[in-house]
Amino acid sequence: MMAVDVEHDELMGLLIAVAREDRAAFQRLYEKVSGRMFGLCLKLASQRDLAEEAVQDAFVQIWHNAGEYHNERGAPLSWMLTIARYRTLDLMRVRKAKQTSGDSHLEHMEDGREGPLDVSLRSAGAAELTGCLEELSEPQRDSILLSYYRGFTHDELSEALSSPVGTVKSWIRRGLMALKRCLER
Amino acid sequence: MKKTPERIEALAAEYVLGSLRGHARRRFERWMMESVRVRQEVWFWEEKLGHLGSRIEEEIPPASVWSGIERRLWPQNRGTEPATAANDGAGRWLWPGWSLVATAATLVLAVILLQQPAPRDDQRLSGAIVQAEMTDPLWLVSESALERQLKLRPVAATAAEQGKDYELWIVPENGQPVSLGVMPVGETYQVTLDDKTRALLSSSRTLAISLEPVGGSPTGAPTGPILHVARLYEL
Repeated sequence: MMAVDVEHDELMGLLIAVAREDRAAFQRLYEKVSGRMFGLCLKLASQRDLAEEAVQDAFVQIWHNAGEYHNERGAPLSWMLTIARYRTLDLMRVRKAKQTSGDSHLEHMEDGREGPLDVSLRSAGAAELTGCLEELSEPQRDSILLSYYRGFTHDELSEALSSPVGTVKSWIRRGLMALKRCLER
Repeated sequence: MKKTPERIEALAAEYVLGSLRGHARRRFERWMMESVRVRQEVWFWEEKLGHLGSRIEEEIPPASVWSGIERRLWPQNRGTEPATAANDGAGRWLWPGWSLVATAATLVLAVILLQQPAPRDDQRLSGAIVQAEMTDPLWLVSESALERQLKLRPVAATAAEQGKDYELWIVPENGQPVSLGVMPVGETYQVTLDDKTRALLSSSRTLAISLEPVGGSPTGAPTGPILHVARLYEL
């Protein structure tokens, strides 16, 4: 835990400096965070150019909004990754809106490269949410993780998990609420 | 739709997860703008689900990403210190007692910010131009007083019909709409606001888009149909 705390403090210090428009701090922040951010965006979008654009947009936002960060918004790293994640989801939506026919996200991934939810992600998620994911049913957990890591829509989830959309929606809704009860304990 | 605690709780979780989409997502963003309670619920999930993101395998982005960021933030002055808007009085005003903050870097920024009255010229407006039967907004609108810029980012907007252009207007509380120019579709449209247009917009907070002949209205007032009217919200 020590290393995590040290990093937390360092990122916090960098963010404060960035809020003062310190460019050197901004570059250091980029060097420290961009790898994890790009990894997340790439996982989510499965498209390099989109992930690159999202990271770029996210850092432009971080530069402008560093002063709006406060600790109710989570650790500095989560805050920055959240910005990048929303941006990736936005860009994915824009691209999907532009797609005319069935070039779906799912087909994209089912080229044998990897399954929708690889084992490493499932266990990473479990560890980070202090065991609370374990309390969910398997479909609840999978639909939440697939939404988080892969940006699946309800329709895509329904296809990936071979279940009706209504069922998928209720897995997510109930899963999230069960998760919250557990996290609040 | 009523903002019951149960509904806020459920929608915030789905908002952060990303499964809340389309019109429901935009409506929830308006709720966020209106209520700190809603924002706090969102922050809870951003914090919790944020942990999931930190475990992903790193992947170093190509160097072009960083150079692109530099280009966008400092188009003229690469490598030198520019006199940007946020470096002037208003920017500094947000950060008095700076040295104190720096020595206690882990102090909560929010507390420091809350001790200041909200500076009037750091107001931000935000909103979306939506169409009833579409799930995605046509444009997302943001305005920053500090940068004096109004930005419209196209999401689901499509090009105007052949031989036509979209023209953007501020709809003042009284009097004629004021043109903010013809908007190209497919890229973010940015307008720099002067004092007069800023004042109009911050009091009426209403934008409209009309369909005009190519190049914009020949008369200076909307001549074609008003396609969209949008209210902005203070962020």
